[in-house]
Amino acid sequence: MEEERGAAARDATVLDGNAIAALLGEIFGGSEMTSATRGCGSCGQSHPIGEHRLYRGAGLVLRCPGCGDVALVVVERGGEAVREVQLLGRWQVAVG
Amino acid sequence: MATPGAPLVAPVPLVWRLVTVVEVVDETPHARTLALDVPDWPGHVAGQHLDVRLTAEDGYVAERSYSIASAPEDARVALTVERIDDGEVSPYLAGELVVGDQFEVRGPVGGHFTWRAQDGGPLLLVAGGSGLVPLMAMVRHRAARASGAATELLVSSREREAVLYRDELERLASAEDGLNVVYTLTRSRPAGWSGYARRVDAPMLAEVGPAASASPRVFVCGPTPFVEAVADALVSLGHAAENVHTERFGPTGG
Repeated sequence: MEEERGAAARDATVLDGNAIAALLGEIFGGSEMTSATRGCGSCGQSHPIGEHRLYRGAGLVLRCPGCGDVALVVVERGGEAVREVQLLGRWQVAVG
Repeated sequence: MATPGAPLVAPVPLVWRLVTVVEVVDETPHARTLALDVPDWPGHVAGQHLDVRLTAEDGYVAERSYSIASAPEDARVALTVERIDDGEVSPYLAGELVVGDQFEVRGPVGGHFTWRAQDGGPLLLVAGGSGLVPLMAMVRHRAARASGAATELLVSSREREAVLYRDELERLASAEDGLNVVYTLTRSRPAGWSGYARRVDAPMLAEVGPAASASPRVFVCGPTPFVEAVADALVSLGHAAENVHTERFGPTGG
């Protein structure tokens, strides 16, 4: 039971891509990205960014809901002066 | 239907706006609705949220994201905030704050977890606790637009007193325009309670409907463990993953 509660507590800290809609908008020049889809280079599945799992720590990591592969890493360095962004997989970004 | 990957809403410049609280409504002992005066509000889609930024006198900044509770058609933008006692932001928003107070917001943001009347139904909305907030925006939008989309709203709550918008939901459901509201109370029940009294599971979802064969648009919002359990149950009932939209919230500092 103790272990189960521990797992539940950890799960409760995992959110999803909807929670970083504004941050993604900043990174992608104002585009609405939670409804954009990402093709995973690891498992091959496509999922909306809003369905990707969000893990927050020193930075934040977005992971594929299908296989857990890393989709996005964002780390802010030197306060907010520099933002380091790593993107993986095929992000379908709407234009126009 | 939107083209996959196409934005449901036009890009909105992400500027911070100073808003003024014009009304505070106590919804439950732990949650309050804040009606806001937002200058140059661009409008929103049901299901979207706002980022809220509070700046302390010493310059400390805290940001949180809150779902918009009001319908796009409503006169004022409203947030409903549940107080997390050891949180940084919610004890102020859902506690100390008074009418006339100001804070900053940016948005609205989000496009995946949204529904517009023209998207149609049937709809299955599943709320865990204050996960009801963005779904309420959809239900209010549906009523404002007289959409008539067949809608099942399943609300899971610890107890009846913790259910947000109880009176309004009763009123909306009594219109008999295709909205059905079902409650499950997981911790305590009033005397004579004949409704569900357990966590949402596959048999409950199957009874509430609509069936997977009707291809309802499903929106699930709640704490992460709740959303994961409901999403798994929906998949086990045959709902296509692309019809199931989920939004998780958690104690990220409250």
